[in-house]
Formats: sequence, structure tokens, C-alpha cells
Amino acid sequence: MAERSDPRRRAKRSTGRSTTTRGTARTRRSPSGQAAPDHAAPGAGAKESFDERAVDADSGGERGERIAAIASALADLADAVRALPAAVLDALPDEVAAALRTGARRLAGEYSEDEWGRDPEFERAFEPLLDFLYERWWRVTVVGVERLPARGPVLLVANHAGFLPWDALMVKTAVRRAHPSPRTIRFLELDWAFATPWLSTLVRKLGGVPATPYNALRLLEEGGAVLAFPEGVRAAQRRFPERYRIQRFGRGGVVEIALRARATLVPVAVVGSEEAHPHIADVPWLGRLFGLPTLPVTPTFPLLGPLGLVPLPARWRIEFCRPLELERVGPDAAEDRAYVFEVSEKLRAALQESVYANLAARGPAFF
Amino acid sequence: MSGRRILITGAGSYVGSSLAARLEREPWVEAIFAVDTRPPRLTFERTEVIDADIRSPVLGRLLPQIAVDTVVHNQIVRQPGPNMSPRKMHEINVIGTLQLLTACEKADSVRAIVIRGSAGIYGAEAGAPQFFTEEASRLYPPRTRFQRDVAEIENYFEAFARRHSRVVCTMLRYQPAIGPTVQTQITRFLSLPVVPTFLGFDPRLQFIHEEDAVAALVAAVQKPVRGAVNVAAPGTIGLTRMLRLLGKPTLPLVAPLFELFADQLARLRIANFSEDFRRLLRYGRGVDISRLCSELGYEPRYTTEEAVREFAATREGMSLVPSLRRLLAAVS
Repeated sequence: MAERSDPRRRAKRSTGRSTTTRGTARTRRSPSGQAAPDHAAPGAGAKESFDERAVDADSGGERGERIAAIASALADLADAVRALPAAVLDALPDEVAAALRTGARRLAGEYSEDEWGRDPEFERAFEPLLDFLYERWWRVTVVGVERLPARGPVLLVANHAGFLPWDALMVKTAVRRAHPSPRTIRFLELDWAFATPWLSTLVRKLGGVPATPYNALRLLEEGGAVLAFPEGVRAAQRRFPERYRIQRFGRGGVVEIALRARATLVPVAVVGSEEAHPHIADVPWLGRLFGLPTLPVTPTFPLLGPLGLVPLPARWRIEFCRPLELERVGPDAAEDRAYVFEVSEKLRAALQESVYANLAARGPAFF
Repeated sequence: MSGRRILITGAGSYVGSSLAARLEREPWVEAIFAVDTRPPRLTFERTEVIDADIRSPVLGRLLPQIAVDTVVHNQIVRQPGPNMSPRKMHEINVIGTLQLLTACEKADSVRAIVIRGSAGIYGAEAGAPQFFTEEASRLYPPRTRFQRDVAEIENYFEAFARRHSRVVCTMLRYQPAIGPTVQTQITRFLSLPVVPTFLGFDPRLQFIHEEDAVAALVAAVQKPVRGAVNVAAPGTIGLTRMLRLLGKPTLPLVAPLFELFADQLARLRIANFSEDFRRLLRYGRGVDISRLCSELGYEPRYTTEEAVREFAATREGMSLVPSLRRLLAAVS
């Protein structure tokens, strides 16, 4: 923040109050000989400069003295007004005062966001809700989270369900809660989320980035952990009877990026996401109205309206499988299309097997 | 390389005039010619100012006479205005560039051409890469007229570079410039008393400080490289956070109302925001500057956040109403 030191401050005479104000002091020129207009609290700098000028003015000491007295009274009033919020805050209970201070700080723009848009403070504020979903609503069981390397580029590959990124958030929460040395996980999300108001902001602040190979590669090259859903939009189009049947992985782009960045490939099986929003039918034309490929119909949505977006309390089970063993890594391996397809199939098979195993281990979905 | 003779088009703009002034001080520059229909912003010592319209073939007659070896094409119009209709923008951008390239073809002395283009060629898309690399310029179809024009200019330039391999052709893709002096759409946007935004969107924006904008151009002139180079400050900043740092009251509007509001501002001659700028305010755009740092050898001195803070600092003394920030500073 720019701190301006008003040179006229040094020579102040009749005001004699302390000049420790937070924020910037404005250097404002006021017309000589006239009372400066009172612009709320932070205008005190003007009072001082005006003050001096009034005292030095040629036009009669008496009038100058009166104006100086008015100016000093106004300055005292400004001081009192400025001290008021701090006094009020001190009177409130600690948590409320802290919350208000944080709110004020955030409203002033003094919070940090990294270059991808992730906001650590916001994430922490979201943790209670995610913890509730993790512990009570979905009663998530995590298996094998220690298989996730604590350092180095890691590409987590998971099966996806539905349109909303609940699975990504649950995987992040699982790592945060159960891993011995938790690390930040960013996830790739389809571009429809970034074209939707509110959701785009929310997803970004929680560490989501648009799902393109450029983003994944850059994040991996920076040494991060990235969670990808290679099924893409096909996962969201899958209906409830076909649940947990992993769709084909497209052109193997995910594997190619992992090979190019020399990242560890960790398959993650997520069971429970399909039952959170059971996809029973579609309304394509309504979906297109909202910019979605289609509007999914679940038992609660769109019947109950926005309330239908609340996910059902199924039981979840997340397993971090053993990292895939790759004979070759590096840009040359990534160029070999046959090898990429082979690894892609191996990955898909491993993931499908793990999903079915965890499905059996979980048992009935709701009870 | 001693005794460079440089021609600058669009010398009436801030960047053009500043570039000429900076180059004047360099010992490796022998002569500078500044071309524009507008008068230059600064007074020059040894730059020859030429009043000419690049849309006309006058440059074709001029270039062989003045024997320049470097041409800096700074006359790409990015912002519409009351005197600048989309058709006029298209003419100046596309036809002007074509005329310039034709003139360069005829002049044998030209060895390097640097065009100050726009990162608008990448567009502003919801699912876009956060940092566009130079080869990713054709990921999305052009959505606006300006984007199509810039793509056309780049096509012509690439074709020219292929045909004339002895000429080093540099295409600089600039993000919007921000700073105390320069007047761009973003500075005008941030100078509004109430700032309209798209409801529910907080795009990642990336700028370049006005000083870095000129310095990068000087670096490109000194050491031309072949191909496209992104020019921007490192890092991005969210629109919401930027507006909060500036203490600006915002007016979030749904898309149709935003368009209405922006059209009204244009009608009332307060500010004219191009379609590209509106898309930028909705989806944002970032570019990767590794080529700028490694090949062109220029490291920007200001990050995007620092550039915004400096802009905020210079604007702070100019508003009558104490900004929201100062009031909040009293609380926190």
C-alpha cells in the first residue's frame, strides 16, 4: 500500500494530535482562507495543511485564529469518528470481532489468491462444511491414502459421476484429514462449470482449474498434485443403471500428460458419488437453456427445485490404489501413441477393478 | 548492431511516443521516424515526425527513401471510441497492416519488423488454458470482430515471414496495459465511479505495466526474434480482488443487463467497451511469458498485482469520495 508522508505534517502546530493513521494520507490542496469541506474520517490531512496555511495567512490573525479553532475541533471530531469502529469492535466478543475484521480485510482486497485463483483462506472457511459432508452426511471411508506421494508431480485419476464436483472435494478432504503429510490437490473441471455464474468462482477458489491439457501439464511441471477425471462429460451423461461402469478414456490425453511431466499415476476409486445424485433421466432442451449439455433428472431435482441439488446421504468409500508402474516416462514415451494407449487401458482396467472391489466392500448404499 | 534506422507507426499513442523517446537515448540507434496522423505525445530531439495515414500507399513511396532497417508497427487499434467505429478499426488494423507489409516488401533495406499485436487473438473463454502458450493461438474460433482482425493480421504476417526469410518478423501479443499515464479500456473501466461486473463471475486478469510495455518493445527492437511472443506481467489477479484493492463500488449485473449498461455508457460517451473487453471481464485471460523472459531476454519489473497496486496508488488521491478501502482500513 502506498504510504504518503505529508511534508506539511512535520510543521503542524495547533492540532498536536498523533498522526498514526493506518491507510494512506491524502495530500489535498484546499483553497486558502476557506474552511475545507469535511469529507468523513480520513480527511484530517487536509485539516492540517489548511490549518498551517490559515495561520500563516496575511489576512488578520484574529480571523485566522477562529478558523484554526474550528479546524482543530473538526480534526478532533474526525479522530473520534475514526476511533469509533475500533472501540465498537473491542466491545464485541472475540470471535465476532475477528470475523468482522477478517470481513473488512477481505473487502479491502487484502487476501491472497494464487495465479490459478485458489484462495487458501476461503478453502479454510469451507472446511467445516466439507468436514460435515465427509463425516456425517456421506460417512466416507478412506483406504490407502498413504500411497499418495507427499512430494513431486502426481496425477490422480478417478472415476466421475454427476455434474457437480463433489467427488473432487471429497478426495481433497480425504487427503487433508487422513494423509500423514497432506498436500494441496487441484482438480480439473469441465468448462461448463466455468461458464456458470457462482459455480465458476467457487470452483476456482477451491482449487479447480479448467480441464485442458495445457493446464494439467503446467500444474504437473510446477510439481503439484492434480486430480483428473478422464471420462469427462461422458461420466455425467451416464444413467443410474450403468453406474460405476467406467467410460472409455478418450484419446489418452491424461496419460500422455503424465508421461510428459514424469508424474506418478495414482488411480483413485470413488464409490458413492453415483448415489449422491442418481441420474435417472435427461431433459436436454432445459439443460441447453442453462448452458449445460443436458439437464439431469434425479429423484429430487428438478422436482424440489434448488433444494433438489442437495446430494443424497449415501455411504462413500475412496481408495487410493497403488501407483501405476510405468516402464518408460518422459516426452519420448508420451510421443509413442501405442504405448500411451496401452498405459491408458491398463489404467482404466485398474480403476474399474478397484471401483467394483470397493463397491462390494462398501455394501448397501444408504444403510 | 550500430546505426539502426527505425520507423515507428502509431507514434501518437502513449506507447509509440514513449518508444521513440526511449530509443532516442540509445546509442545503437541512428535515426528514428515516427509516423501517425495524430501529433506525438512527447517532444522529440532527433526523431523525424511524419504525418501520414498508413491506410494509404504513402508508406510504399516513403520507405525506400528513408532506408530504415527496422519497422515497428504500433498502430493496432484495440479500443473503439466515438470516432472509431468497428469498420474504421478494421480498416486501420487490417488494411493498414497490409499496406505496411506491402511497403516493406518493396523496400530492400528492411531487416526486421516488430508488430505490437494483441493477446486478444487467444480470445476469452470459460474453459481456456490459464496461461496460453504461443502455439495455442487457434484453440477457439474467433468470436469477435477484433479477434478475427488480429487473426487475419497474424496470418498475413506469417505468410510474409515465410516469403521473406531474410526479414526477422516478431509478433508481440500484448495483454492490456495499465499504469498511471496510459489510457486503455481497463484504465477507463477502473475510472468509472461505479464499476459494472458480470454477476457471479470473478475472472483471472493479467496486465502489463505501461513501463514494461515500452521496455519490452525496446527489447524486441534491439534483439528481434522470429515468431510470436506473449508480453504480459507475471501472475494474475482476480477482478473482484482488483476492484476491492481500488476501493471501487461494483454493480454486478446478469449478462443481458451488463450489455445494456455498457451500451448506454457508450451512447452517453462515458466509456466505450469493446466486445473483447466485455468477454475479458467475464472469463479473463492469461498468457505464458516464458518466451519473453528466455528468448527476448526481458523480465517485467512489475507483476500484475504490483501494476494494479501502483495504479491504485496514483488514483487514490484523485477521488472526492473516500474510497471503501480507507473506511475499511479504519476497521481492520
